[in-house]
Amino acid sequence: MVPVKATQRETLGGLTLPSKFRALRQQLGQAVTPYLFLVPGLILFAAFILLPMAYSFRISFYDWNIIRPERSEYLELKNYQDIIEWPIFRRAVVNTLAYAAVTVPAQIILGLGLALLLNQKIPGQTFFRTVYYLPVITSWVIVTLLFEYLFNSQAGLINYWLQRAGIIDDPVRWFADEKLAMVPIHLLGIWKGLGWTAVVMLAGLQSIPRVLYEAAAVDGADVWAQFRRITLPLMRPTLVFLLVFLTIGALNVYISGLLLTDGGNPLDRTHFVLTLMYEETFDYFEFGRGAAISYLLTGLVFLISLVQIRLLQREIEY
Amino acid sequence: MKTKAFTLTILLMLFMAFAMPTVQAQDKTTVRYWHTMSDPETAKLEELIATFEAAHPEIDIEATRYAYDDFRQALLTGLAGGDPPDVARLDIVWVPEFADLGALEAMDEVLPDFEERASGFFPGPLATNYWDGHYWGLPLNTNTQVLLYNKAQFEEAGLEPPTTVTDFAEAACTLSSGEERYGYALGGTYFWAPAPLFYAQGGSITDEEVTTADGYLNSDASVAAFQTLVDMYKAGCISPNLLGGGIGTASGHADGLYSMIIDGPWMVDIYANDYPDFEVNFAPIPAGPDGTTSSVVGGENVVLFADAAEKDAALAWIDFLLSEEYQLGMAEVGVIPTLSSLAGNEALPEYFGVFMEQLETAQARTPSPHWSEIDNIINNAFQYMLRDEKSVQQALDDAVAEINALLSR
Repeated sequence: MVPVKATQRETLGGLTLPSKFRALRQQLGQAVTPYLFLVPGLILFAAFILLPMAYSFRISFYDWNIIRPERSEYLELKNYQDIIEWPIFRRAVVNTLAYAAVTVPAQIILGLGLALLLNQKIPGQTFFRTVYYLPVITSWVIVTLLFEYLFNSQAGLINYWLQRAGIIDDPVRWFADEKLAMVPIHLLGIWKGLGWTAVVMLAGLQSIPRVLYEAAAVDGADVWAQFRRITLPLMRPTLVFLLVFLTIGALNVYISGLLLTDGGNPLDRTHFVLTLMYEETFDYFEFGRGAAISYLLTGLVFLISLVQIRLLQREIEY
Repeated sequence: MKTKAFTLTILLMLFMAFAMPTVQAQDKTTVRYWHTMSDPETAKLEELIATFEAAHPEIDIEATRYAYDDFRQALLTGLAGGDPPDVARLDIVWVPEFADLGALEAMDEVLPDFEERASGFFPGPLATNYWDGHYWGLPLNTNTQVLLYNKAQFEEAGLEPPTTVTDFAEAACTLSSGEERYGYALGGTYFWAPAPLFYAQGGSITDEEVTTADGYLNSDASVAAFQTLVDMYKAGCISPNLLGGGIGTASGHADGLYSMIIDGPWMVDIYANDYPDFEVNFAPIPAGPDGTTSSVVGGENVVLFADAAEKDAALAWIDFLLSEEYQLGMAEVGVIPTLSSLAGNEALPEYFGVFMEQLETAQARTPSPHWSEIDNIINNAFQYMLRDEKSVQQALDDAVAEINALLSR
């Protein structure tokens, strides 16, 4: 028993053969163990994310028959070419980018304002934080139907108020016009995402050390100067995170568009990339074209996120 | 010794547990049937399944209900995943596209007595199963749209229900009053909505072989048919809700906002549940310039899937679905039968009369695996006209070019 214990205690300097082997095994074990723990997750990731992605990448080069795959016709890049040249797709891309350009800055600016308010020491703080977070946890479908009612041209509350206030004479037909239809869709996107943005901002605000504000106050900085010189620079990582995340979310706008415009009405002019992808795939059974659209969207999201991160991500210094 | 007996008991129990159900399962064949029926229809179906299973103790019917809007996706998922139903009730316009995908069994190939059987159905609904040289299903139930008019408003204005399209347009304009009331309302611009008036005025989409839309969708009769609706809309006699985001036709008609709508037999049940005090009045679709009425055929067909595991049991179930017993049972909940032998049967509800009569002239929509796309093209053409972005002729000429590109694919 004693010699065994002695070898175990030996340092790397003077190893005997069996203990050398043991150390090697230990090193190997240290290298392999973390991956063993990752295996279950990796298997799930491969089975439900990677494999379907690879499969749909393959589909995007075919006129794919989902039920009898052997009848599918290989089209090379035709799906991609057709879709890039397709006016309805181009319009959908413009609509999607416009949605991101409107809703992301609006959520960030309003979210920051809301977070600053919620960060104040006021009575009922928890209550307000909960109230502003409520839209986030409600179902997209339900709030979309609510907006559909609010903006109904004949029986909607919005038209009623606008008419009562004397702003409009005749009811506005929100969903009959491709530009007006975007108003409820954009408003819904902002309203629904605001609570989440504000909560993330609030976490960012609370991570800023109080001493910085105290020191600035001593130096005679007013509230605006404190906001510009302390809050904004230190919130930078939070803001970049939100910008990238909200942009990805906005480029994936789907449920509100599908339900409010019935998938592109009027005249396929209100499509977003995902509503068009859904229509091609599940309404017209054009799985190849649908897969090609989803890969084009993936490319777009990847590119935009890359540019955002490259341009905005910098080290912060206290 | 004791442990040995214990082990043996456990083994025996395990054996029985695994062996028993297998024996039972071999006794019974399960037929999986998918449908999109309403609540009262599903309740009736359960009763009829019990009747069928009593007569066929060896068959077990496993019926699954889906929402209409999710049904095609659910079927695709089942088919692509190798877990399809054996039998399904499909909207008539979906049959060609599932046949084109290779999902269905041709009825004229699996049924030895197909010819004899086919002659027992109304020809309109039967025709909706025909595509590419074969019948891919059999007509399970049928329907069509007729005119619903607000009797009180007609009497107040001293009008009779219109019998010609000219009278119809006049009545609609007489009954309209700004935003307070519209003489006529359509549910939207999708083809099903204008189809009855379109067909009644001699409109058509393609030739019979579905090879071209040129000379059909842009023919003088088709242009005139859409022109009637566009003129009515511009004169304020049709509600703007058809362009989206307004009050629905069913509730608008019951509330007196829309004097006339065009809809199907299910409205009787809808009004009985949602507006019990509302009096529903039906009339045939007004006749076009050549004096004939028409409408659009709706309904469902029963299909057998090519991958069905138990074809014999599935065919026995299909037999039952197409029997007088089943069809009369479903008629009790407002489902119109497809068997011509049931025409005039006293057991059918009285309001079926106007629908059965309308079905004699009603036309089926173009059978094509691309129907959903064709429908969207016509929908957009109708929008262009109503929004004054294109003339009726121009909109239909453009639609013809798009449809022909699809048909030649």
